[in-house]
Amino acid sequence: MASQAAQDAGVRTGMRRGGVLMLLPDARIHERAPALEADARQAVALALLQYTPQVAEGEESTLLMDVGASLRLFGGIRALCRRIHANMRALGFTASLACAPTARGAWLLARSSSRVRAGRAVRMEALLRRLDRLAVLLMPPARPYAAWFEGIGCYTLGDLRRLPRPGLQRRCGRGLLDLLDAAYGLVPELYEWIAPPETFRARLELYDRIDDADLLLAGAQCLLLQLTGWLCARQLAVERITLQLEHERGRVARPPTNVEIVLAEPTWRDEHLVRLLKERLGRLTLEAPVIGLALEALQVRPMAPPNASLFPEPGGSEDDRMRMLELLAARLGADNVLQPLPLADYRPEQANVWVPVQQKVSDKARNAQLPPDVLSLPRPTWLLARPIALLMRDHRPFYGSPLRMASNPERLEAGWWDGPETRDYFIAEGLDHTLYWVYRERIGTDDNGPKWYLHGLFG
Amino acid sequence: MFIQYFFASYMNCSGSISAAPESLHPSLWLASQLARSDTRCIDTGHPTLSAQLPGGGWPTGTLVDLLLQQPGIGEMRLLRPALAAVAHRRIVLLQPPHPPQALAMAALGVPPSQLIWVRATRTADALWAAEQVLRSGSCGALLFWQNNIRAENLRRLHLAAQAGETLFFMMRPLAAGQDASPAPLRLSLRPQAGGIEIGFVKRRGPQRDATLFLPLTSYLPNRHAPVDRTAPAPVAAGGVHTELVH
Repeated sequence: MASQAAQDAGVRTGMRRGGVLMLLPDARIHERAPALEADARQAVALALLQYTPQVAEGEESTLLMDVGASLRLFGGIRALCRRIHANMRALGFTASLACAPTARGAWLLARSSSRVRAGRAVRMEALLRRLDRLAVLLMPPARPYAAWFEGIGCYTLGDLRRLPRPGLQRRCGRGLLDLLDAAYGLVPELYEWIAPPETFRARLELYDRIDDADLLLAGAQCLLLQLTGWLCARQLAVERITLQLEHERGRVARPPTNVEIVLAEPTWRDEHLVRLLKERLGRLTLEAPVIGLALEALQVRPMAPPNASLFPEPGGSEDDRMRMLELLAARLGADNVLQPLPLADYRPEQANVWVPVQQKVSDKARNAQLPPDVLSLPRPTWLLARPIALLMRDHRPFYGSPLRMASNPERLEAGWWDGPETRDYFIAEGLDHTLYWVYRERIGTDDNGPKWYLHGLFG
Repeated sequence: MFIQYFFASYMNCSGSISAAPESLHPSLWLASQLARSDTRCIDTGHPTLSAQLPGGGWPTGTLVDLLLQQPGIGEMRLLRPALAAVAHRRIVLLQPPHPPQALAMAALGVPPSQLIWVRATRTADALWAAEQVLRSGSCGALLFWQNNIRAENLRRLHLAAQAGETLFFMMRPLAAGQDASPAPLRLSLRPQAGGIEIGFVKRRGPQRDATLFLPLTSYLPNRHAPVDRTAPAPVAAGGVHTELVH
């Protein structure tokens, strides 16, 4: 295997190490690692399971997919090929993709070319025409007899088919004829489809020490793609995932950093997960560079496709709304996207409770805490986080201008069990007619007169 | 400006104008007329104000600039009917100046279940959040408080608002009225006794220099004594001070 740059420099398959280094002194030569290749094929197969449940592994690093039943769902063979190409790019692999009515035919087409688009033969006649031109030695069972085929001048599959079958079977064995028949669609083919694992856990070793959020996201996207394939194959939707960022083991072993994402609405598509991860990774402070990523689906539930309505509602569905709020919470922090959960308490600070929006609050529980007549309590729209002690001028509270009390006092005396408050609340009006909510402490008045505080603004 | 000039010269040349400009194209109007709105408008709930706004209400899907003298001058009471009208969807309060009180919002007609309070520590985060809310289009209204914002960010938010039908109010200080803004509607708000004073900084229609006084529902309960009565002053040592008596 040589990269495009190496091939341009003249490196060919079968060259020795010394020859390659003479052409390209700074070439990086890697040993083949069959275990890693198998892992990579498994990862790609898992990602491709989102298009069809029938994915099988073929000889010589190939994957076979039966997409006959998926064409309409994904908008035709061209659109499907485009999506697969995009997925392969996202996973970081290059592959030759070929389509044919028979699996073995597609296999031969894909093996015959090293280009990304190896060929697409949708109709059987087109496939026959293309197969006839392919080299005989593409078929693994024919390779031991390469010299013999050359000797009799049989170079292409078309030549091979013209040879008498009994003689061919006697010389080359049954395997060659079976393969040929399968490619030309004369016998049915049988494959052992890859079964998705029971639980999902995918790991990715990064090629370098990485501390950049965008690069981490690219790696995570690769894992999410596999997750999508797994979820589609098992007909599941994910509720909780965790991304582990593994650090290098230096002088002290560091535990991996966990990024956990909990979804309000289970999903089996990766766009929303990618957006959430992007915001979370952007906020994350890493203790050390990351050398590996692992993604795990912790909580899944059966996939429930949404009910589509004939006339789409403006503003989207409740799921869209939850998705937007999740996205906000992912970037701003869950404590910064809040919903009210008023508490039945006379003290305004205790009554005005806001909780993270992800917390499930029933309308009934919320309404039970509201007073029966909300208009009976004059409450300001804005409640200051901390009451402001007011200056006193001429024995009147002063805030920008002297305040004039515009209402009778509302006496609050509650909370002897925690933080007692004894206050008289007034609506005060400044000279510019702004309304303020001020209170006077009734207990703790010292010699300087009563203490006044500003506690709210009437919006 | 160009359109005004064009029609003036057109009238001079031909002497009379055969068709009214507003019948030619929806986005044409005479300088003396209020424009018709090309977006859906939400009734303001105040007929005197609605009569002064193009389209007869708050336009959805555009940036509306409200310039406040200070927070807490009655801006929420001004928006109350509009917010109640869109309260079947979420209402997002982004970076309000002080913690909002759900009970008061309930009294304004916005049920607490529809309120979302979003805080952001950095301006960039706040702008991003505003854009996300606007682009998703799944919220009824977005109220965004921001003191300093650059013109290009405003334009970006205005574009994002056009993607949906969200009612989008930007609350900014009065001083921001000096700066240019892409908002087609800009109003300045000042407190007044018993209501609010609205100045029309910019609108699609004739320039209006006079402010509009809008009476707002008062928080002061009517069942009590008149407001001019002095609050019972605490008796300090030395007797009642004369200053305390009106």
